[in-house]
Formats: sequence, C-alpha cells, structure tokens
Amino acid sequence: MRLLNLRVNGDALSTAAPAHWTLLEVLRYRLGLTGSKQGCDKGDCGACTVLVDGKPVLSCLTLAALVEGREVTTIDGLMPAHIRAGGTGADPVQEAFDRCGALQCGFCQPGMMLSARALLNRTPHPTRAEIKDALAGNLCRCTGYTQILQAVELVIAEAGGAAVVPTDWRAELEQ
Amino acid sequence: MLRCPKFELATPTSVAAATRLLADAGPSAMILAGGTDVMPNLKHELFTPALVVSLARIPELNGIRRAEDGSLVIGAMTTIEAVAANSQVRERATVLAQAASLIAGPQLRTMGTLGGNVLLETRCQWYNQSYFWRQALGFCIKKDGTKCHVVEGGAKCVAAASNDSAPALMTLDAELHFESVEGRRSVRIEEFWLGDGVFNKKINAGEILVEITLPSTPSGHRSAYGKLRERGSIDFPLLGVAARLDLGKDERVERADLVITALAARPHRVQRAGEILRGTQVGSEDFVTRVGELARLAHKQCHPLENIPGDAPWRKAMVAVYARRTLLAAAAGTGPVHHL
Amino acid sequence: MAARDNHGNTPPWGANFGVIGKPLRKVDGIAKATGAAIYTDDIQLPGMLHAKTLRSPHAHARVRSVDASAALALEGVHAVITGADMPIKYGVIPWTQDENALAVDRVRFIGDPVAAVAAVDEDTANAALKLIAVDYEVLHAFLDPFESLVRHEPAIHADRKEGNISKHVRLEFGEVDALAKSADVVLEDEYSFHGSTHAPIEPHCAVATFSADGLLTLWSATQITHYVHRALAQVLELPAQKIRVIQPCLGGAFGGKSDPFSLEFCVSKLAMVTGRPVKMLYTREEVFYAHRGRHPMFMKYRTAAQANGRITSVDAKILIDGGSYSSFGLVTTYYAGQLLTGPYDFPSYRFDSTRVFTNKPPCGPKRGHGSVQPRFAFEVQLDQLAERLKLDPIELRRVNFQGSQTRTVNGQRVTSNGFLECLDSVERASGWKKKRAKLPFGRGLGVAGSMYISGTNYPVYPNKMPQAGVQLKLDRSGVVTVFTGGNDIGQGSNSMCAYIVAEELGVPVEHVRVVAADTDLCPVDLGAYSSRVTFMVGNATIDACRKVRRQIVAAVAKKWAVDPGRVRLMPGVAIDLEDPAKALSTAEAFQLAEEEFDTLGATGSYNTPTLGGDYRGGSIGASPAYSFTAHVVEASVDTETGRIQVHDVWCAHDCGRALNPMLVAGQIEGSVYMGIAEALLEEHKVNRFGLHQGPSLLDYRLPTSVDTPELHALIVESLDPEGPYGAKEAGEGPLHSSIPALSNAIFDAVGIRMKHLPFTPGRVLELLREKDALEESKSAGAAARGQA
Repeated sequence: MRLLNLRVNGDALSTAAPAHWTLLEVLRYRLGLTGSKQGCDKGDCGACTVLVDGKPVLSCLTLAALVEGREVTTIDGLMPAHIRAGGTGADPVQEAFDRCGALQCGFCQPGMMLSARALLNRTPHPTRAEIKDALAGNLCRCTGYTQILQAVELVIAEAGGAAVVPTDWRAELEQ
Repeated sequence: MLRCPKFELATPTSVAAATRLLADAGPSAMILAGGTDVMPNLKHELFTPALVVSLARIPELNGIRRAEDGSLVIGAMTTIEAVAANSQVRERATVLAQAASLIAGPQLRTMGTLGGNVLLETRCQWYNQSYFWRQALGFCIKKDGTKCHVVEGGAKCVAAASNDSAPALMTLDAELHFESVEGRRSVRIEEFWLGDGVFNKKINAGEILVEITLPSTPSGHRSAYGKLRERGSIDFPLLGVAARLDLGKDERVERADLVITALAARPHRVQRAGEILRGTQVGSEDFVTRVGELARLAHKQCHPLENIPGDAPWRKAMVAVYARRTLLAAAAGTGPVHHL
Repeated sequence: MAARDNHGNTPPWGANFGVIGKPLRKVDGIAKATGAAIYTDDIQLPGMLHAKTLRSPHAHARVRSVDASAALALEGVHAVITGADMPIKYGVIPWTQDENALAVDRVRFIGDPVAAVAAVDEDTANAALKLIAVDYEVLHAFLDPFESLVRHEPAIHADRKEGNISKHVRLEFGEVDALAKSADVVLEDEYSFHGSTHAPIEPHCAVATFSADGLLTLWSATQITHYVHRALAQVLELPAQKIRVIQPCLGGAFGGKSDPFSLEFCVSKLAMVTGRPVKMLYTREEVFYAHRGRHPMFMKYRTAAQANGRITSVDAKILIDGGSYSSFGLVTTYYAGQLLTGPYDFPSYRFDSTRVFTNKPPCGPKRGHGSVQPRFAFEVQLDQLAERLKLDPIELRRVNFQGSQTRTVNGQRVTSNGFLECLDSVERASGWKKKRAKLPFGRGLGVAGSMYISGTNYPVYPNKMPQAGVQLKLDRSGVVTVFTGGNDIGQGSNSMCAYIVAEELGVPVEHVRVVAADTDLCPVDLGAYSSRVTFMVGNATIDACRKVRRQIVAAVAKKWAVDPGRVRLMPGVAIDLEDPAKALSTAEAFQLAEEEFDTLGATGSYNTPTLGGDYRGGSIGASPAYSFTAHVVEASVDTETGRIQVHDVWCAHDCGRALNPMLVAGQIEGSVYMGIAEALLEEHKVNRFGLHQGPSLLDYRLPTSVDTPELHALIVESLDPEGPYGAKEAGEGPLHSSIPALSNAIFDAVGIRMKHLPFTPGRVLELLREKDALEESKSAGAAARGQA
C-alpha cells in the first residue's frame, strides 16, 4: 500500500492504494471522482482521458503514484474551475456539448470534453481539421462526431463574440 | 476493469539510482517509460515483474539538444509529441518527425516516449491478448507456450516490430546509448535488432536506454515516412516505410535508403536502394522509373505474415505502393504518406 | 386499438407547439457534461464485494465437474457460485429459453460463463478464478454455419429436436415463380454480411444488494429493465415482488444490452449468498463475449422485374449464423424476411430463412435487428437491376414506391410514408443529377432506401396489458414528475417524455422531472428495443397528460367563468385566449385544479392496435408505423491501394415528426456512422480455434473523428396518424441503407460490385483485378473478331 499525495482539481488530496493501481482506479474508487470513465481497459478508447499539467493523458495507463506533484484535472473539476475563474455554471465546452446534442449516452464525453478543453487552451481558434485531430484519440459510439465538432466550433465562435445560427435539419428548409 | 498484476513501484530521480535499482533487483524488475506499451502488456500478464522502475522522475532523460558535432541528442524520455513538434527534428530528421506524428493517437503521443517506442515489444495477434485468451489458445512460443500460430509448425517467433520510430531512426543512422552499473554502451541502431520475435533487441540486463543521437544530416537531406494502418489514428502500423534521399549537386541522389517495418521481428532495410537511385536527378523521368524499380524490389524482398491483424496479401501488395509513394514524397519534400 | 390509446397527431388545441419541434437541451445533458450523472459502475455501496466470472476456454465441451475449494480457501474470497446454484434456464424469448447464468453441464463458446467469485476486491476475485479447477470433456466445435445446417451431432443444445437448427421460417406471398418466369428481367446473386458488434463505450456492469428482509435490488446497465425483472424472478426463484431493478444512466447499448445477462444473475445470487452488496463490471473482452451482435448472413436473392423497372417477384434464401444461444433469434429469423416489404411494392415475395447454432458468442439484436443484412443484399440487387435496365437508380426506386396508407405483400399495414420525399431530399442535397455517373473514374455516388419498424405489436411474452405505461405526479410548486418504465439509453427518451409533458401541461421543460426505468417506482414499459420508445412511451405520456390537462383546464375555466376552450396552457402560464390579460402561473393553475379535483396525478398507456398478416408469424414485424430512409453516399476508391474513402453521406429520414430535431439528427448521424463503420472497418471475427480474434477496442476498430465522413442529416416529416404528434422512430432506420448506398457508390466510382461485407481494401483490389482481366479478355476477343 502506498500513500498518495495528489493534486486533483485544485485540491491537495491524500489517499492510499497499492502501487499497481492506475490513476483511473484511484480517481474512481478511492477519491469518488467517478466522472472519468472506463471503456476499454487499456488505452484504446480515450474515455478515461484526464488532464495532467494541462495535457490530455489516459488515466487507465497511468500509475497513480506517477502523478504525484502534478496537477490533475478531471471532468468533475471543470465547472468548479470555471466558477472559480469568475464564470457561472458549467465550462463553455460542457455547455456547448449540451446545447448541440453531443451528449447522447454521455459515457465517452468526459474524456472527449477534456481533449477539447486542452485543445482550446493551447489553440483558441483551431480549424475543423485540427479539432478532428485533437479528438482522434477519443472514440464516440453514439454521435458520429458531427454534433461534437459543432459543439467545439460553437465554443470557438461564441468566445469570439459571434452569434451562431442554429442548424435546422428539416429537409423542406434545405432549399 | 482489467487490472495490472501486483508489483512494487520505484521512482528513482537519477539514472545512477535507476541503474542501481535494476542491478539489485535483477530480472524481476521492469522499466516503465511512458507506459503506453508496458501498461497494456502488464494488464495482459505478458509480464509479471516484482518491481517496476519508472523513469518518469529523471529529468536528465528528457529533452532535445544539439551537440557540438552537430548531431541531435534526444533524451529517451522525450515524449513522442515533443519529438513530432520539435523544429530541429522536423528540419533535420523529417522522417522521424513524420513517423512520430503518426504514432497512435493524441493522448498516447503525449504520454509515450521516443525511448519507449524504440524498445516497443514486438506485436502479434496471437500474443497481444489477455491471459484468459492466451490460455484458451494454449499459449504461443513467445510467451508460456511452444507453438507458433502464425506459421503453423513454425519453430521461430515471427512477432512483428511495430515501432514507427525504428525504420525512421535506421535511415538516420541513429545511435542508441545505454547506461547500466557497468557504465555506458553505445550501439548503432541497425546492429541493435535481432531477428527473433520473442525478443528482438540486443540489450543487456540492467541497461537503460538514455539517449538517441542522430548524426547531422547534409543540407540536401530529404526524408519521409509512410504508414499503412486501418484508421487515421490510434492504430499500430500494418506497414511502416522510411525513405531517405541525400541530394547533391543538381538535385542528384547521393545516398538513398529505404527501411520497411511491421513485417517480422526486425525492420528490413531494402537492399540495393542506394545503388538503384544514386546519380539520378530528382524529378526526372529516370528518377520516377527507378523509384518504381526500387519499389518492386522492396515488394519482392518483403514478406508480411499473418502476425499482426490485417490482410497479409494486401500488406504485401502495399509494400510497393507505399515504398514508391514515400520515396516520391521524400523527393518532393512532402509527406507523411498516410491515407488521410 | 382501443380508442383511448389514439390521440391523433395534432393536439385538440392545434399544432402551434411551444416545445415540440424545438432543438432543446436534453433533461440529463448537463449532468452528463459535468460528470455528475451516475452510471452503474459509479455506484459504490458500503461493504461492497467485487465479482468476477470464470469463462470457458473451450468452444464446445461438457463440464464434468467444477472444484472451487482452493478458491474458497483464499483469504478475501466470500463466495463461489456455479451452474448448480442457478440451474433454471432463461432467455428473452419465452419459447426458446436455452441459457444458464453459469454453465450447468455444457459450455458452448469460448467465453461462456462457468463460475463466479465474490471477493473483497477485484484482484482477489481474479486470483481466485485461477484456483478453480474445471474438468472439461471437449466436444466437436461448430464454427461454420454451413456445417451446422447439415450436421446435428453433437447437438449444441441437446434438448432440441431440430438439432443445430435454431429456427426455420419459410413464407410465400403471391405467385413468386410464375411472376419470375413472365418477367422481362431476372437477376439472381449471392451476398454476405459479416458479424459486427455494438461496442457501447460503457461495458456491462451490475450491482446487487439483498436486504435482511429479503428484498433484492439490482442496478444494471440494461436497456430492458422489465425483462430483467422477470428473468431474475424465474432464475433466482424469488417472487417478483421481492425484486427491484433499476437502470442507472446508461453508456450506450444499441441492442447489446437487451438480453438478460449472466452478470445480472451472478451479482444477485452472490449478494443473496453473502449478505453483502456485490458489483460485477465486465472487462472489454467480456463485452465481446456477451456480444448479441449482428448475425452473419449468407443470402441469395432473385428479383424479377418488368422492363419499366417494376418489381414483380422477390425470392430470398438466407442462412443465419446465430452463435451459441437463441437470444432474440426467433425474431431475427422472421425479421430477415418480414421487414423487406417496403418502401417498395411488389406483388410476390418468398423468403426462406434458417438460423443455425454455432459455437461462437451468441448473436442478437444490433441496431436494425435482422433487417440490415437483407436490406444490404436487396438494395445492391436493385442497383444491379437499374444497371441492367439502364434506369437511374433513384428513378427505379420511385417507380416501385408503395405509397402511404397501404398494405405490404406480407400483409403489414403501412400508414404514413415519406419515402418519396426522402429520395427527393437526398437527390437534391447530394447534387445527384450533376454528379452521379459523371464524376471522374474513381469517385462516385450511390443510393439506397429502406424501412424500419416503430415498435412492434408482438410483446416478447404474450399478454394483453399495455406495452407502455406512464404515471404523472403534479406538485403544487408547478413541478411535474413523470414516471416511466422506458429506458433512456442515450437516445433521449427521458427528454422526450419531458418535452411532451411540458407541451401538454404548460410547464417549462426544466420543471419536469423524469424518473425512469425503476421497477419499484415506474409503470411497466417493455424497454428500449425495436425502436418502440418514442412511439409507445410518447403516446402513453400524451395519454396521461390529456387526463390531467382536462382537470387543470376545467379548474381554470371555472375560476375565470369561461368556456374551457378558451384556456390555453403555455410554458409556465395559463391564459385566456380571448382575454390574454387574464393569466395564471402554472403553479396557481395546478393549485386550483388540486382544490377542485384533489391530489393531481394520472396514468397513461399505450397498446398497439391489432396488426399483422393472418398467418403464423404474421404479427412479427407488424408495427403501428414504419419509418423510411434514403441515403446517398459519395465515395472514392484509390485503385492502387483499394482503400475506400467516404466523403459525404446524405441521409433523409422520415421520422413522422421530429419531436426534437437536434436529437433526431443525432440519431441519424449516429446510425450512418455505425453503418459505414461496419461496412469498412469493423469485424466480429472468430478464428479457427473459436476464439474471438480481437476482443478489444484496438483490434475491433471503431472509426475515430478523422475516419468519419461528413454526415448530412435531413429530416422528413410525414406526420403519422397514430404517432405522438405524428412521430415515428429515428434510431435504427437510418442505419440500413447506408451500407448498400456505399456499395452502389463504389460501383459508380470504379465499376465493381461489393456484394460481400466488409469492404476491405484487399477485396476491392481483387475485384478491380478481376474487372481489368475481364475487360482485357473482352477487348482481346473483340480484336480477334475484328481480325477475323
């Protein structure tokens, strides 16, 4: 058993777990931060993505002990961080995913939203190709990614003050 | 959740401390770099070390610098992402930057290291499976068993070298530097590989890969990487092709090199590449013809097996296509060659 | 249908909707976005044990004995159970119950559950699994469905008189052979569809507690709470009153969580045995063994037509590889034939479908259950027909359109039908007329059409009770709580209920709470399958709302002393249509109604009308409404690598009415994504040892964001007479024709027919070589004739 001194979502937290436990297991089953999901067991799906020092990593392939001294951000921490920074409600990425219908089952989306958040932190105005590339390590089985891309583009547009015209999918309005 | 087997973890903060730990622990210890290959392998119980020695807290292993002799020195723990993004690597070792940019997916590039990719375990669809799966199979020659299921009746393991960095580094004449309690050892990367899928590296017990050096490349150096895979992200190579052309006066080829991987245990350097292309002028009709000839030769020399997932006859057919496209991309200063 | 169940597609106060038809947020969206939503594996209970399953390493074997003594002796192990602890069989279809929670005397595929361990933690449970000794007698394994068709010993299910045949259906309508004989053109060809699986990102998980007074509570990642409830009672020999099943937030299903699964029984039994809460979470590999994915099918089609393109006769023969258990297989075997009879009209039709058992993970219902494979074959054959007759493939489909308010050749009632609008829509949006057959060699367009059910009138177990029930509770604060047995699996059914309640009762959506999929709290609903939820739960919700709405309107009208027709409930406010200054808040309106009628609440139900053809099996595939879809795919082929790149997919889908167009678009896009994925990348492949060749999300390749084409969702609204406000399904139909449309696009691009799935680059190269060889020999022949 190993004592772990972690920084997660701005909090200094101590817990104990055997050395072979992954960060995902410690977050979910020791710290009760169940927002990070487990989908594939071994680094193939991206559902467990968290930010370590601002970069997206797979918590299912990261031993918990190895993030001591580093700042871990999980989906559970995005809204509180946004509020601490003077915002209201959820992070704009979370809001946009909800507004665009990108959350069907929602299971892959904590990882997806953190990948998107990390992208926007380093590149505030990515192209559509750059967004696709940044999200290419997060599998989504529900959406076909379309509404996810729309959500990220909504965040970018609104951050720039642009008003976004909502999509209409009804065929008779096509022409 | 699929779990890691139990082990103890050490997090030394210097190479000296790490080599000491490895020497003391002996064969029951295992090195962990970025974890993107070792962790799934641990979860599959392909390894059951008593001690895992993480290199994550050794700052001296991280970073890219230019040495006095003009060579690039890349710390073994430098992440794949950092290698792909580094401007010196992109300019002077384009093939490596391109290969790195196509390794796995974004998170895995953030976590994975160049040293880890060089030392990647060989892969096989009969091996990279859970303990339950391998037990149901009756195991294989690479781990816990006696049979090979790729080549039935085969006595030799044909698991495939699947590291994109390896062929790129081979065309760059990279040198690998190891440290152990015995001291430092350096080896040219082409002498590093063994043709045995069970373990394809000449590495001694207790050694840590600390650095990779790339000798300086001439100003006419052009290179590119081609990767065949099913998806545009995440996947290991079904075929990896590294091409190097050093151009001299009038853009004539002075040196050509073509290395292909994901076939068998070691990357394959295509014979007679230099001979065929030397002296031809890039962009000329003759060059295109000879590139075609070299690509056909590569096709003849390469024999993909059903070791990794993917249709082997198709992979074989793609050797010629990817060899040609990658050589042309190198000549044109474009690339990487990828289906997207 | 009872009159009470049909409220028409327009509310009595007109279709001037305030909520319906708007791209609103989902009721659970922000909880999912912030990580607050609780999925099954997020549940941790005090003292909870962790369970693991021991699985068969043999594809087919007799279990002689199981010795768990060493496992039980391991510190931290609390219980080991085997088939002997739960010998009663179950199965979702009452007539074909052939599964045991743990193997009783036989294992039928590699991965079949044999024993389960509960221990203090997962590591201990895993260690214990290695200590269980099982003595197997290995039997011949059937891996080839063609072998199962003719060889019946050793029978995979010994108690079945049909040997290794799981189900055979042969139905014939009209003069099939005579009409084929008299046709201008007859096409005959073979097609095959490989296996694929659902791969929801959430693995199956279940948690159970058993209280001291004998109440079993199960939380499970299931899409059919009600059938799990019934199956638990049967297998555990507990009265149903002592069982509560709850579906927490669910991380995707697509049909893969429709059956009762081994882990649900195991955690329940282990909780009963140990007196502790028990959780089991499948590894991704185990999810592949649980499977119930798309059935591999081997199909022969013969289509006959007149020179003008009118189809006169269709004849199909289908072999279905069912894997090791029946699951929904009886229905699959019918659906493989029954669901082909639209959107086209043809006067004669025969299908002969046989499902066989093999020693592979069991197949079941995957999105577009049973009908995606035949649809692929038939729509490719229609393209071949268009080619033969030199007709535009869209025109060919128009010519054969069956129309609305009609009956299919197999006796199914079709109500609304927007297929022509779907064709028009994809033709226009894709630029079909400018591009099809006109793009440079290597790039092309293909079209295909399809239909699918909006629920079925065939309940899995025969009964005359409602198929959907909803209960409403109105609070004096203005909050409405809706209780529904419907399972929200990510498709948004909880949101759909909330939108309807908000529309009907004049409350803002955010004042509607939805309590769903909890057998103690919610009226029975048959679950999320057969694309039934919007249609049936939606109608039941309207049914409940209308009852309580009448009370609210009456109370307000009385207060204002006006005719009830003048009272209109708007989101948050009740107004007098003739004197808008007169207004009451929702809460005030509710309070008036409560004063007048006592505590407010209502139930609502839905049951299908009597439907179906008058023959054995005629009700299977009978739906109160059908959805219709058309796809155009634009793709290119790299003739050197054989790689197919899909650039754009336009999918027009007739969903009746889009209750929330954003969610409908999400269903369309997700369906198209999944169809293209199984056409190009995914393969549920069982190797020569009977082992799944790649039971991981690395080797079973789901497309990433960079692999997914541009998806264009186009909504067509035909306003079904019986759907809730005219709505029909949107979650499964839009998958079907994506795959044949891609095959047909490849033909337009490079002139090869992809008739066998998946469309791998190796296969493309092979066909291109064959085509080149054929053309060479043709031109050589022509040259020779020229010389002569």
